[in-house]
Amino acid sequence: MPGRSWRLWAFVPLVLLTATVALFTATGGSVTGLLGESPPPLDEFDVRRVEFHPGEIRIRVTNPQRDDLTIASVTVDDAIVPYDVDGPTTLGRLRSAEIVVQYDWVPDEPISVGVTSSSGIETRKDIAAAVRTPEASAKSFFGYALIGALVGIVPIAFGLLWLPSLRRAAPEWLAAFMALTAGLLSFLAVEALSEALELQAALPSALGGAGLVLLGVSLSFLFLTAVSRRLGEGAGGGSSVGGLALATLVAIGIGLHNLGEGLAIGSSFALGELALGTFFIVGFMIHNVTEGLGIASPLAEGRAVRWQRLAALALVAGAPAILGAWLGGFVTSDLLGVVFFAAAAGAAFEVVVEVGRYVARRAPGGLASPHVLGGFLAGVVVMYVTGLLVA
Amino acid sequence: MPKFTRKQVLAGAAPIVAAAPFARLSLPGHGDSHLSATHEGHEHARLGHAAMIRDHVPASGGRHDLDELLYPPKALPHKPGRVREYDLVAVDKTIEVAPGVEFNAWTYNGTVPGPVIRATEGDLLRVRFVNGGSHPHTIHFHGIHPSKMDGVFEVVPPGDSFTYEFPARPAGMHLYHCHATPLKKHIHKGLYGAFIVDPKQPRSPAQELVMVMNGYDTDGDGENNFYTVNGRSFYYARYPIEVKRGRTVRIYLANLTEFDPINSFHLHGEFFRYYPTGTGDQFEYTDTVVQAQGQRGIIEIDFNNVGEFMFHAHQSEFAELGWMGFFDVKD
Repeated sequence: MPGRSWRLWAFVPLVLLTATVALFTATGGSVTGLLGESPPPLDEFDVRRVEFHPGEIRIRVTNPQRDDLTIASVTVDDAIVPYDVDGPTTLGRLRSAEIVVQYDWVPDEPISVGVTSSSGIETRKDIAAAVRTPEASAKSFFGYALIGALVGIVPIAFGLLWLPSLRRAAPEWLAAFMALTAGLLSFLAVEALSEALELQAALPSALGGAGLVLLGVSLSFLFLTAVSRRLGEGAGGGSSVGGLALATLVAIGIGLHNLGEGLAIGSSFALGELALGTFFIVGFMIHNVTEGLGIASPLAEGRAVRWQRLAALALVAGAPAILGAWLGGFVTSDLLGVVFFAAAAGAAFEVVVEVGRYVARRAPGGLASPHVLGGFLAGVVVMYVTGLLVA
Repeated sequence: MPKFTRKQVLAGAAPIVAAAPFARLSLPGHGDSHLSATHEGHEHARLGHAAMIRDHVPASGGRHDLDELLYPPKALPHKPGRVREYDLVAVDKTIEVAPGVEFNAWTYNGTVPGPVIRATEGDLLRVRFVNGGSHPHTIHFHGIHPSKMDGVFEVVPPGDSFTYEFPARPAGMHLYHCHATPLKKHIHKGLYGAFIVDPKQPRSPAQELVMVMNGYDTDGDGENNFYTVNGRSFYYARYPIEVKRGRTVRIYLANLTEFDPINSFHLHGEFFRYYPTGTGDQFEYTDTVVQAQGQRGIIEIDFNNVGEFMFHAHQSEFAELGWMGFFDVKD
């Protein structure tokens, strides 16, 4: 084809599509009319968040369907209550509103809220225990930060202290510990993925459900692949990264996972579903100390690493728990949860791939050697057992 | 050995950095709603609906919308053989049961409950029924009449008609409703109303009111979302019923609430005489009565004091979902 015209031809499908779509939207009723009547819209609200403040309940709702949805009546514990809305009561597609109800709720007791549409469909949300939602204050900021640090940074820092012992280990054992890292990360990946899939089931289908999970997983997987390529370039060749670069990747993967963990802790506490007892935090600390080991393993071979770098790795892996706790405690919605857990799963999977390539290259006996297989299994088992402490 | 450059650290920390904007959302000040309620509104709001009266009460419609259902036609003196004619048309209609809440109802003559039918004992009651709805319907009267005038065997298909004719008896307070199947649906969608048969000896003069208790299951889950008397939730809280002290108030009360085994009527600050089914002289002197679905009776109140007196179901859930109102007793 001569020079210019093939470029114009590229527009033809788009133009045809636009024309057909325009024609159909103008006259399409007659086509679908051949099939019969469509059912009325479901008219269910997506109750995103219910907050309890002194003398007040705030309900955040979204319209998850194509058609408009109107808030007509609000009930608390099966009683119609007066309410205010921060905007119009008719919500367009995917628009949100905050409903404020002056109500003297009883702390620690179950409560249910209902939002009724103009077609009389009531969407209920049951809250297991009404707990005062932490206001964004310096005290609660600090509280969540402290919990995030205890659960994230501290155990990982402890785990990193295994580095000197690892340096004295025989190559087979080192390979075993690397495989343990991979097992550990696989466990985290599967855990995060299942959490993401569970949460997406509760989302309105307009947000893409399982597709959103795949999007999150792919984004973080490909992102980390790009990061690892960059880090590997500095190493001067070789198709896999090792040493500090690999440890950084592991730290990033664990960091993303801890972001999701922090989010889960923060939002569970804010929604009154979680008693943040000492047992729970201790359990998490034990669960996460193996993550420090996982970061240390790639560092066992090769040059000595300054402690400042180790501290930085601990922060990269542990600090996101603080951010997650802040987000979960003050902001969260199921949508954020799905995105973060999916990203955590993708990141963890990618790092497992990198660790696998490293082990395949460096382990005496290769990927199928008993140390590697045993190490991988040990990683999964340790995570499982310590995970039971926080279940 | 790879260089641990600043760029790489940033690349690794990118997700954390990207999440920073979210932190702003947790600061106080963001998400403050532009609430339109005045301080006064908030005060009223704190009390909840249990103590709300007049303007702040969410009820649909204007002050006199339900007058035809509240005030029955006058009782006529006993005259055996007189014909009382009524025309009832079954109509599918979407009604507003609470502000902004619509319910797809099946109605007699466009209202839920349907019109008050009244006759004196001995009258020949003739009800011409036309089915203008989309489903088959009937009218089943509570009373004494021939079996073929009962609204059970002669089901009227859409577009058809049937004339019910029978002597009005016995004297008392009764009701009527559709008896087509499925029975639960035909009743809860709104096909019912009050049916009064006056005794040969007229009752003493009184301010007469009709109250039909009902509920609406607007989301189809088998539980009522709204409870009302005469069809609109909280209506008589917004528009209190004006009555005079010194004249007996007579209420013809019937229960057509579906799904809940019982409903009740409780009056504040006063006691009343309750005549079950209105068929006898025996009464209970009380302030709370219970009726199962299909039960009805006559309440007679002699108010001792002026002022606003609440009346509501004593099932608190029904009261807070719309079945409550006020009497405004004046001299």
